[in-house]
Amino acid sequence: MLDNYLPILIFMIIGLLVGGGAMVAGFVLGERRPDHQKNSPYECGFEAFETARLKFDVRYYLVAILFIIFDLEIAFLFPWAVALDGLGMVGFLAMVIFLAILVVGFVYEWKKGALEWE
Amino acid sequence: MGFEKFLFYVLAATLIAAAGMVVTRRNPVHAVLFLVVAFFSSAMLWMLLEAEFLAISLVLVYVGAVLVLFLFVIMMLDVDIATLKAQFIRHLPLALVVGVIMLVEIFLVVGPGNFGGESFPNPAPQGPDYNNTRELGLLLYSSYLYPFEIAAVILLVAIVAAIRLTLRHRPDTKYLDPSKQVYVRKGPDRVQLIRVPPEPRRVPPTATPTSGVEDEA
Amino acid sequence: MTFDYAHLLPIVPEIAVLVLASILLLVDLWLKDEDKGTNHLIAVFGLLVVIGLTGVVGGGEREIVLSGSYIRDPMSDVLKIAVLVVSLLSFVYSRDYLRDRGLWVGEFYVLTLCAVLGMMVMISANSFLTLYLGLELLALSLYALVAFERDNPSGAEAAMKYFVLGALGSGLLLYGLSMLYGASGSLELGAVARAVAWQGADNQVLVFGLVFVVIGIGFKFGAVPFHMWVPDTYQGAPNPVVLFLGSAPKIAAFALAFRLLVDGLGQLHADWQGMLVILSVISLAVGNIVAIAQTNIKRMLAYSTISHVGFIFLGLLAGTTEGFAAAMFYAIVYALMAAGGFGLLVMMSRQGHEVERLEDLKGLNERDSWQAAMMALVMFSMAGVPPTVGFMAKLLVLDAVISIGLWWLALIAVFFSVIGAFYYLRVVKIIYFDKPEVIEPLVVGSGARVALSVTGLAILLLGLFPAALLTYCQAAFA
Repeated sequence: MLDNYLPILIFMIIGLLVGGGAMVAGFVLGERRPDHQKNSPYECGFEAFETARLKFDVRYYLVAILFIIFDLEIAFLFPWAVALDGLGMVGFLAMVIFLAILVVGFVYEWKKGALEWE
Repeated sequence: MGFEKFLFYVLAATLIAAAGMVVTRRNPVHAVLFLVVAFFSSAMLWMLLEAEFLAISLVLVYVGAVLVLFLFVIMMLDVDIATLKAQFIRHLPLALVVGVIMLVEIFLVVGPGNFGGESFPNPAPQGPDYNNTRELGLLLYSSYLYPFEIAAVILLVAIVAAIRLTLRHRPDTKYLDPSKQVYVRKGPDRVQLIRVPPEPRRVPPTATPTSGVEDEA
Repeated sequence: MTFDYAHLLPIVPEIAVLVLASILLLVDLWLKDEDKGTNHLIAVFGLLVVIGLTGVVGGGEREIVLSGSYIRDPMSDVLKIAVLVVSLLSFVYSRDYLRDRGLWVGEFYVLTLCAVLGMMVMISANSFLTLYLGLELLALSLYALVAFERDNPSGAEAAMKYFVLGALGSGLLLYGLSMLYGASGSLELGAVARAVAWQGADNQVLVFGLVFVVIGIGFKFGAVPFHMWVPDTYQGAPNPVVLFLGSAPKIAAFALAFRLLVDGLGQLHADWQGMLVILSVISLAVGNIVAIAQTNIKRMLAYSTISHVGFIFLGLLAGTTEGFAAAMFYAIVYALMAAGGFGLLVMMSRQGHEVERLEDLKGLNERDSWQAAMMALVMFSMAGVPPTVGFMAKLLVLDAVISIGLWWLALIAVFFSVIGAFYYLRVVKIIYFDKPEVIEPLVVGSGARVALSVTGLAILLLGLFPAALLTYCQAAFA
């Protein structure tokens, strides 16, 4: 069974080589002369005022959760698309109803302005 | 079979190590990143079980979306690491007791006596053109039609609840609306340059010496 | 695979609730703030239609459709109608409250209706999968409803506690269900029952699974020692949400327990009976004794809920048709009483003033004697004073317990009920014999007044003629 994954393994190895190779080449070939000033955090010439970790606005969370919901919906679409020829009308209608329920939610979020950033 | 077994142990060890790091790391962002590793290893384990679609959707949905949300939430909360650590130490004994009990239970239940190779033999291997995703789809949209539609309603509730609880309009925010910007017509909507005839210079009645110098320059 | 569209007939009520929720969600988007009353009208008339549909579709032999994931039997008909009626009452009670506080938005109705849909799915579930999905649909809607007043920090805190403990309970339930699936090889309750009958209690996995399932059920009911979320959630949530949360879901929880323990694991009755005995005795003890110490009436009613859950468990653990009928009767009647009690709290709350301390009820009789009489009736019924229906319900449960020879258990239940009567009667004393702190009369809408009268009348009439409901409960298990 693992034989089927050989092309993927080769693909992954090449990907790692290309991605990692660039970093290694930069590390080996680049010239580095670090000193104290270069290594200290830089904020427009001042000492840093605060940590880099700032609170995020709750609006990012709303966008992310709406994204997850539609991402899940798409996860349901994949097996449906692959198996559609064996499902007949019932399978087709099942997905239509599924999408209709989510379209109601989509209309709601659009009209409420949840997709607006302001 | 030998290599698959080797792969299984490597993945299982990675999974357990990553899960251990998730609960022991002090920095919650690092914990989430170890959770990514844990999810990847379990996806690979599922791949070994020939559940390809589930493995890929685990990566797509959990790593791709849910963990991004985790990161957002952690960054929103501004977690105080020192108090977290104190709580961790304080609850550690209780957590260890619960963990050990769960572990013993799992060994009792999932041991070879109940779920060993004799009672659950390997299914017959499928041919190379066997499509796991298709079989899943054939089952999901016929036998499990009703649970599938309930899942849609649960997603709908999630949309409504998330919007109700977090959406606040801020009328005082100032921003540009591009769709209105493109409708600006030449004429009244635009900034116009109006040629104003220069007024004759008025000489101030009593000029101080410094300003007088500037005026002449 | 061929699909018979006639199989969709039994789920018409569920489809109708979903359509109703979708219509409300969309209509609300185009409603102006002053027209929000339309939401209320749509929800109330929609629920009336759904009750009618459930009655039309119901009746007759049990049918299992949709590849074994859905069951319609006499029990599901009665429980669904009970859930729908209690939800309808809670809509009517909360109308003025929601209007006065700017909570009169479509989302309230949509989330409540989705919770109702979740309960209906649970009641009609014939497989672990549908049961769990219905439970999650209910729970998700309720978490959001508890935090519905989003500028209120105590509501958010209550929702957080409810969510964390509810998720823990769901997780334990799911863990148990996965063990049962592993041991029986099926998700469908009928097939599980056959596998259990074949294997019996020798299979360790089944027993472990059963333990987790009972813990999960205990969490969802709020039985001691899994009750920690109940008082905090009741205290922090807005009153209309407590009204809904404290009434209808108890009926659905009964269905959850019945489907899992009796339909699925009926053969393991000897094992789960012992667990339920422990849960019900400590629920009765903790619920009734801790309630005495409460000064917040919402917390007091929360502990009273816990003690009533003990009674429902008593009926279930009897394991006879008589016991199941008694437990079902008790669950429905309790939901009705809770709707009346919390409904009164909702009606007394006015803008900027949430009724939650016992002192707020002082001298209610001088302010509105009708409401005072109804509150007294509900309290008498919860305490189990004849001729109210609460007495009949307790009597039936005790009768079922004695008939299987557990007379000592019945004695314990009576003992704690007598202790419990103290705090119910204290409320009656506060209403009638204490001087009011404010004298202004209460303004109550006519809809709420009618709903309250219906509840009071039902409590009295069902107490005098319990057969009206009891025959349906008994027919469900015949």
